[in-house]
Amino acid sequence: MRIVIAEDSAILREGLAQLLAMRGHEVVAAVPEPVALLAAVAEHRPDVAVIDIRMPPSHTDEGLRAAIELRQADAKLGVLLFSQYVETRFVRELLAAGSSGVGYLLKERVADLDEFTSALERVASGGTALDPEVVTQLFGSRQDRGLATLTPREREVLALMAEGRTNSAIAKRLVVTDRAIEKHVANIFTKLGLSASDGDHRRVLSVLRYLDGR
Amino acid sequence: MGGVRKTALMSQIWVVVRRVLREPLSARPLSELAYVLLAAPVTVLGVLYVVVSLAVGVALAVTAVGIPLISWAVPSTRGFAAFRRHRAAGLLGRRIPDPAPFRPPPGFLARVSAGLRDSIGWRAIGYLLLTLPLDALGLYVVAVTWARGLIALTYPLQFALGVNTSGFINGQVRQVVLVNGTVADTWPAVLLVSVVGVALLLAAPWVVRAFLRLDGLLMRRLLDGVGAAARIRDLERSRAYAIEDVAARLRRIERDLHDGVQARMVALTMNLTMLNETLGPDISPQSRNLLTAALDHAKDGIGELRHMVSGIHPPALDAGLETALGTLAARSPIPVDVRAELPERPTEAIETIAYFSVAELLTNVTKHSGADRATVELTEADGRLVLRVTDDGRGGADMEGAGTGLRGLTERVGTVDGRLAVDSPAGGPTVITIELPLHT
Repeated sequence: MRIVIAEDSAILREGLAQLLAMRGHEVVAAVPEPVALLAAVAEHRPDVAVIDIRMPPSHTDEGLRAAIELRQADAKLGVLLFSQYVETRFVRELLAAGSSGVGYLLKERVADLDEFTSALERVASGGTALDPEVVTQLFGSRQDRGLATLTPREREVLALMAEGRTNSAIAKRLVVTDRAIEKHVANIFTKLGLSASDGDHRRVLSVLRYLDGR
Repeated sequence: MGGVRKTALMSQIWVVVRRVLREPLSARPLSELAYVLLAAPVTVLGVLYVVVSLAVGVALAVTAVGIPLISWAVPSTRGFAAFRRHRAAGLLGRRIPDPAPFRPPPGFLARVSAGLRDSIGWRAIGYLLLTLPLDALGLYVVAVTWARGLIALTYPLQFALGVNTSGFINGQVRQVVLVNGTVADTWPAVLLVSVVGVALLLAAPWVVRAFLRLDGLLMRRLLDGVGAAARIRDLERSRAYAIEDVAARLRRIERDLHDGVQARMVALTMNLTMLNETLGPDISPQSRNLLTAALDHAKDGIGELRHMVSGIHPPALDAGLETALGTLAARSPIPVDVRAELPERPTEAIETIAYFSVAELLTNVTKHSGADRATVELTEADGRLVLRVTDDGRGGADMEGAGTGLRGLTERVGTVDGRLAVDSPAGGPTVITIELPLHT
């Protein structure tokens, strides 16, 4: 993958670049603020941009604004928000324009490099990657009857789906067969009254819409 | 030696005499005179105003007009007191601080009640009533010193010009002047009267000043209840400063943690991950375990730090109250609707208090109400921030309820003169309204 990094902390910017290089990814630019990010993306046309949310000048949501702007200019560009906090409002804004090719991960997820790079690859190829913490919060805001009818296993599967994982990834994670996951997914969709749709991406979208409840 | 002492005594006497002789011609006695002459008529007007408005108010007390009339009259009397204070400052250099202006709360009944309880207004009324006889005394003092003295100085002129004469006395036509009805018909007698006049004029400034001491005593006693009011204003200022200072400090701590410790912990995690990568598969299981444990500790540390920081200063607050409340609502186990319409951003401390208040109220809703959903509304009314949390639960919440923390919350919003109202009939719904100033 060709990657642009926007992160105002120098140690994290360099650390992330090194980390990704170790897995053979090409970090074409690593910049400290949003204006340079827009320029770098325009110049290098990367597959994905990893963007810190709190950046200069005000250190509030500059990264989110830049991500939304980048997506408006180029819907094919993957953007992964990289933050120390989960702000559901920010997640919602990011997802408002669609869940394809977007992600939101907490910074400590770099602890598991396999997980981290696979999330990044998902985003780069038009998928979704949401931090488990984000999904927990979305679940939290939706304690309704539909969710209450799910078995613990089905809830687990739903959460992993919401994170943006494919059936086979979920199967691998839960150490069961693909066939078993497909059955769970079908049950979940029936119980929640969602129309089962083909394709991982549209499935994530309907799950997120449901969880977001608006 | 004796000669020197004598000279010193003489020069001291001379200083006093010169002072006494010059005093009536200096500016100060004239301002003091002007003060007495100006104050008295205004006092008369003030007493009339108070007597008439209170009498009418009492007479109409059985109607809907009476009490509001009194509640309006009491604070408006402050004007007379202010006039007096300002003249005293301008003419006498007697500085008594002004009280904080009367600011009634919104709402008719609240205004009436505040007016009736306006202690500064009542003190002004008391002052006017007590100062009326005192001002009469003041006018009398001026009349017997300044006026009498000046008139006495004119007798020689009157005698010489033949005015103020009674030409026909004891059957004879004589050149005389009448001093208070007493006949003076010789130059020595007329000049003696003038000497008395001069003495009166020399004494006048000191007598008037003695009277003004009384006036000052009364004024300080009644119109400077204000000392307390000024102190309250000072305390309010320093409290606002303290509250804002704490909010700013907490925010700085959050930023420092974010840019410092938290960033370093993430960097540490990255380094451990890289170490894990570079070591490859050929290390001992023991080393691998140690590395995995180190990674877990680093990751957990970041999580714990994040949790701690959100209790110090939620980072989302930097992006505004609405954003922060949105995140808070999303974390709630029951669905919460957030509606915010704020034309301007409150100060940092107010946003922080509003945020933590809503956090506590939403916790209450989840723990105690049995509600299916809740609404958080954020509006502005009369320059104040109004926060309303509504739930469709079983109601019955009250201030005394154990574990609801409503009392503590009331105390907390009270630190910035905020108010909390609970409306929670049995069976619900529960509406809790918090009112905060937009600025501390």
